[in-house]
Amino acid sequence: MDVSAAREPLVVSAWSAVSPFGIGRDAFAAGVRSGAGTARRVAESHGEVPHDHACLVPDFDVRAVLGRKGTRSMDRVSGLAVATARELLAGVGDLGDPTRTGVVLGTSGTAQQMRDFTRDSLLGSRPFHVNPAIVPNGVMNHAASQIAIWHDLRGPNATVATGRTSGLSALAYARGLLRSGRARRVLVGAAEEYSATRAWLEHHRTSERLALGEGCALFLLESGSAARDGARRPLLEVLAVESQVALGDDVGPALRQCLVDALDRAAVRPEEIGVVRHSAAPGDLGRQEVEAVRSLVGAEALTRAPDVACLGETSSVVAAFQLAALLSVAPTRGGVGDVAAITSVTDEGTVACGLFRLVRDRD
Amino acid sequence: MPPRVVVTGCGVVCPTALGVEEFARALREGREGARPISLFDTTGFAHSHGCEVTGFDPRRWLRELPSDRVGRASQFAAAAGRMAVEDAGLDLDALRALRGVVAVGTTDGGSHELDQAVEMEIARGPSGMDPALVRRIPAGALSVSVARELRLSRVDAVTLGTACAAGNYAIGAGLDALRSGEVDFALCGGADALCRRNFTGFYRLGLVAPRHCQPFDANRRGILTGEGAAVLVLETAESAARRGARVHAEVLGLGLSCDARHPIAPDEEGIARCMRLALKDAGITPGMVDAISAHGTGTRANDVTESRAIHEVFGPRPPRTIGLKAMLGHTMGAATALGAVACALAISRGFLPPTINHVETDPECALDCVPNRAVPADVRIMQNNGLAFGGNNAVVIFGRHAPDAPPAAG
Repeated sequence: MDVSAAREPLVVSAWSAVSPFGIGRDAFAAGVRSGAGTARRVAESHGEVPHDHACLVPDFDVRAVLGRKGTRSMDRVSGLAVATARELLAGVGDLGDPTRTGVVLGTSGTAQQMRDFTRDSLLGSRPFHVNPAIVPNGVMNHAASQIAIWHDLRGPNATVATGRTSGLSALAYARGLLRSGRARRVLVGAAEEYSATRAWLEHHRTSERLALGEGCALFLLESGSAARDGARRPLLEVLAVESQVALGDDVGPALRQCLVDALDRAAVRPEEIGVVRHSAAPGDLGRQEVEAVRSLVGAEALTRAPDVACLGETSSVVAAFQLAALLSVAPTRGGVGDVAAITSVTDEGTVACGLFRLVRDRD
Repeated sequence: MPPRVVVTGCGVVCPTALGVEEFARALREGREGARPISLFDTTGFAHSHGCEVTGFDPRRWLRELPSDRVGRASQFAAAAGRMAVEDAGLDLDALRALRGVVAVGTTDGGSHELDQAVEMEIARGPSGMDPALVRRIPAGALSVSVARELRLSRVDAVTLGTACAAGNYAIGAGLDALRSGEVDFALCGGADALCRRNFTGFYRLGLVAPRHCQPFDANRRGILTGEGAAVLVLETAESAARRGARVHAEVLGLGLSCDARHPIAPDEEGIARCMRLALKDAGITPGMVDAISAHGTGTRANDVTESRAIHEVFGPRPPRTIGLKAMLGHTMGAATALGAVACALAISRGFLPPTINHVETDPECALDCVPNRAVPADVRIMQNNGLAFGGNNAVVIFGRHAPDAPPAAG
């Protein structure tokens, strides 16, 4: 175990996103700053859907974006993840030894292809008359492994599936890999796809009428010294990532405790938090989330980061989009605490938060 | 020096046993879990044996979690978690005041329920799916269910979707969190429930054996899909000593690697690199490993590639290498967690479980797989291999815990 690395600050030194605002970081940043809605009528090719509007990545056809080689059977969530990794890596230069770069992705995979596969088995003239090429797509770790294959990243490769908190769970796991010296840098983030199957499952799971969103956001997480070695400027320092479980139906008390414990771990006072980007959870869940945050850090901090609701309900990728939203605005100067937080809650009872210090230009 | 980490509790739900004591007996006996699949309609498949968990009544194990509100894999995980804390003799009230991680690995999450939802969609249209069933699908529930069953709130509950190596990933997450001092305890393991989609996928790829799984056998025919869960209680050696806990084994080291080559086919380089990383992390040399619990699926691609990687790392006379999947089937996300419990039992109870159904060792594998009968053995250090689709490799090394000796001498 590399003890010096364990004590060094961990920083995000690059990021990118593929989102309903389009491909790339700049499109995301300009989009969330504008707050423009991205919901559009869902194309008829999706078949019957419960809600006729959704926030899709415009014109995202996997083969058009990534080329025809190796994409014949690629599922949408893997395509979004591989494209985002390509955008990120294009801007970071040589990462050195590929066995020292890991990938950690928050995703629950492609519900659509899982459903299609089972449906073919049930409806075909033989139960095994299914498409063998999509067997691996139905495994949750497929998107993360596709990032590794496409970009030759041979370090630890992990997939976390915790629903709306997945981006924060991925960040916590990636932090563990760096702290233990199992990787020198990690591409970490989350991905989600829109599909009719996901729309129906979300429709039955919640009572809300949701315009679903999709996309992927990835961050390069490394120690401050690894960033310096690669001549990359730290954009944001990760102070704490904390996750807990709500045992009752109200997630508020657990989220509040989660924030208190994160502040304690990071030795940060609540008043130092200048910006909070909550997860804009639908319905009661969202009201409980906002109330828990407000009770601890006040209402004003909640207004200082771009809202991610303009991207729709983005499920597994929402926490990664929240972090991207924090990175999309220049840190404010003076008067406001320079610690930023994101919070997240799920129906299953997971609550999570992250505390970050935004690095100003010429800091 | 980071703190040493030990296993003090094990919970098992698997095709041959419920509970760690019965699991130990089943391993010694070489009990086989294969039987005709009953959990979904197998009409039309030429053969359809699998390793189902039978006789599992969730109400017998679960006290807090409403079992009808979670899926089959979550029930397995929560039951194994309950068994593990009881095996560890933990005081739950004390545990609730501490910081912990609950990490559960899985291949398919709630796919058992998703398959049922698809059937319902076919029968009634997409608007006719049962909301209560749909709410049992999300994979995140696997780890949350363990936390809810034990009423643990201050835990990081994470479900790791790293497929068939996921149990080892979960144990690794617990190991690193304990070493870093961020948590006081870890409940780690894996869980999966048998489902049509998984079975059909392996079947379509020609990887399902008709009747028996025969790892490393010249006439092996493939895997049998299985299901179950295992959860291990990890804590620091200091914590275990303080509360006078019985220690099953010490977690000596972890290796993680990605082949970055192929979505399905395993890669010798990636696997060998993973084993070397685990040995280095454990601070031991290959010659110190007494036995290996192989990934050993019983497919041609896995067994030959894994054997070559073992020979590459361990030389011409590698340690005895067992294939538990002959008994348990391929329990997917639970597989390496069950393997971890088997390693801990081999070390603490002095025996090596057998590779059953063995007739003739494949010369391309050339391993002593402890054929058919368990043997008494002084197992001081045992390696647990996990290799997954996507080239996600995870290897964990366990050792006999000797509190006063350095781990490598344990």
